[in-house]
Amino acid sequence: MWVGTPVIFTGLSLGSFYALIALGFSLILGIARAFNLAHGEMILLSGYLAFVLWHYFQVPFVFILLICSLVLVWVTIPLNYLLRRLPEPYGLNTLIVTLGLALLLQNLFLAWFSADYRLMTPAWPMVNVPWLNFSFPLHQGVLIVLALLVTGAVHLLLQGTFLGKALRATIQDREAAQMAGINVQRLSLAAFGLGGLLIGLAGPLFAQNMYLYPAAGVEATMIAIVVTIFAGLGRIRNILLGGWLLGLTQSATIFALGSRWRELVSAVLLLLLLYFRPQGFSLKKEG
Amino acid sequence: MGKINSSQLAAAAGVLLLAVWPLIFRNQVQFHQVLGMTCLYAILALAWNIYALSGAISLGHTAFFGLGAYASALLNHHYHWSPLCTMPLGALAAVVFAVFWSLGFRRLRGVYLGLASLAAVEIPKTIVDNWDQLTYGSMGIVGLDRLPTLTIGGVEMDFGLNVTAQYYLLLGIMLLALLLHWKCIRSRWGWTLRVIRENETAAAALGIDSNRERAKALMLSSYLAGIAGALYAHIMGLVEPALVFNLHLSVLPLVFSIFGGSTMVFGPVLGALILYPLEQLFLMPLFPMGHSALYGLVIILTIFFFPKGIAAWLPAPPKSV
Repeated sequence: MWVGTPVIFTGLSLGSFYALIALGFSLILGIARAFNLAHGEMILLSGYLAFVLWHYFQVPFVFILLICSLVLVWVTIPLNYLLRRLPEPYGLNTLIVTLGLALLLQNLFLAWFSADYRLMTPAWPMVNVPWLNFSFPLHQGVLIVLALLVTGAVHLLLQGTFLGKALRATIQDREAAQMAGINVQRLSLAAFGLGGLLIGLAGPLFAQNMYLYPAAGVEATMIAIVVTIFAGLGRIRNILLGGWLLGLTQSATIFALGSRWRELVSAVLLLLLLYFRPQGFSLKKEG
Repeated sequence: MGKINSSQLAAAAGVLLLAVWPLIFRNQVQFHQVLGMTCLYAILALAWNIYALSGAISLGHTAFFGLGAYASALLNHHYHWSPLCTMPLGALAAVVFAVFWSLGFRRLRGVYLGLASLAAVEIPKTIVDNWDQLTYGSMGIVGLDRLPTLTIGGVEMDFGLNVTAQYYLLLGIMLLALLLHWKCIRSRWGWTLRVIRENETAAAALGIDSNRERAKALMLSSYLAGIAGALYAHIMGLVEPALVFNLHLSVLPLVFSIFGGSTMVFGPVLGALILYPLEQLFLMPLFPMGHSALYGLVIILTIFFFPKGIAAWLPAPPKSV
């Protein structure tokens, strides 16, 4: 077996997971213009819910995904109504308020679940690829398939439906969309609803691929920000690409330098992205 | 100075109260300790607010705090210099980081600056965490020298082990930082920073180099934050990456300043004096885990209901912008 095969495979599967993490963040930011720094903590919330369902009630994984997605919608939709009332400057205020929410959630996790590390370990079979002489646990493959399916579905929603057209218009120019008669407030609701579904979906995957502990959400938020800035708002395919690139970079870093430097990768990438694209997420050049 | 108005009178009364209460409640050692730490975090909040005067919301001040703590600890551990000497020197490490920060983030504003500052913390944190030969990695450094014992005016003050003496030291440094903060707000330079905050184009039209002025504010801010970190290291006697590079430490000054009123001279101190004792003395016994949720809740409520902070409710608001 070529030594690079597991590095690339792990990178791709990790990257697919990152794309799934970033999707919800990107939609909420693009359409509602809200920076959700509590994104990672919400994924953790879903992850802890999945852990409880799996550990105490032995719910099958497919149902866990379903339940978590539906529950998280009822977390993000109230957030939409909360953030809508914020005074100007809106972007900065959403950043501060969701940072507060992140801290609140972290402490609730600490109170409910203590600081222990938890991991969901359902028995996934190993899959063997004979012609590469390489075998991998099925859940890593599931990540890749799931990421392709979900980004495909969101892409189709944005490109193929009337709602998607309105959503894209809102992402590109909120005021112009409003003038064209699009109810941007209702679309924000749709974005938070859809974002909630995606966050809910990412939670159980987080619980079985990374350790759950109260402060784990910060890294997930960071990943969502990096991938979203890389992709630009509303570019769903780029999110998948950005996720894979980040995953492969991390996987290669771990292979070359050891796992301790992994957290630095996303931070350095974010700083580089911001250095070269200081206008951040926007598609058009400003000034 | 001119006429003394009611807010200056209230401030003087407040300072007097802070100075006198430990003499009356001599045996409440826990209170002395908590109020001492309150002063420490108030220094950090004042530091944060000096940078915030220029309109920058930093989510990464723990980087300066941690660098100050580690630089002072390393000088003390490897060269056995006294904390009196390592603390002011160690805080310079934070200023060095601030220089890189100012150069790297000079094109970033608002939300993007916030995101960048959040990410910037990872760099010193990961380096300190992994440079085992120098910093002992995630194990941290233990057995640092405590703050020294000094004789001031014939009174021997053991700042290291006597928490009451420590409280007075921290109160004194906090008052110095407050004086600096006051000078910053009331000086011509303070107005320069506020012009940058309100409108950078207008500032440029007035001939203000906003990047340079903002960088100056950050250097001052980082030095103060570094001092706070260095004090923390020698008060605790140990440093650990997870202890001094911690999101919590970035959020605390933000919460204290915005809750207290970030446009007011006393705002950050007021926020710290109300919230930190509330958390440590009241909530901690009730909720041993998760008592810091208070800060999350407070910042959300503040932004929604009184974005100017509680200082805006004071009867005679000081004339400030």
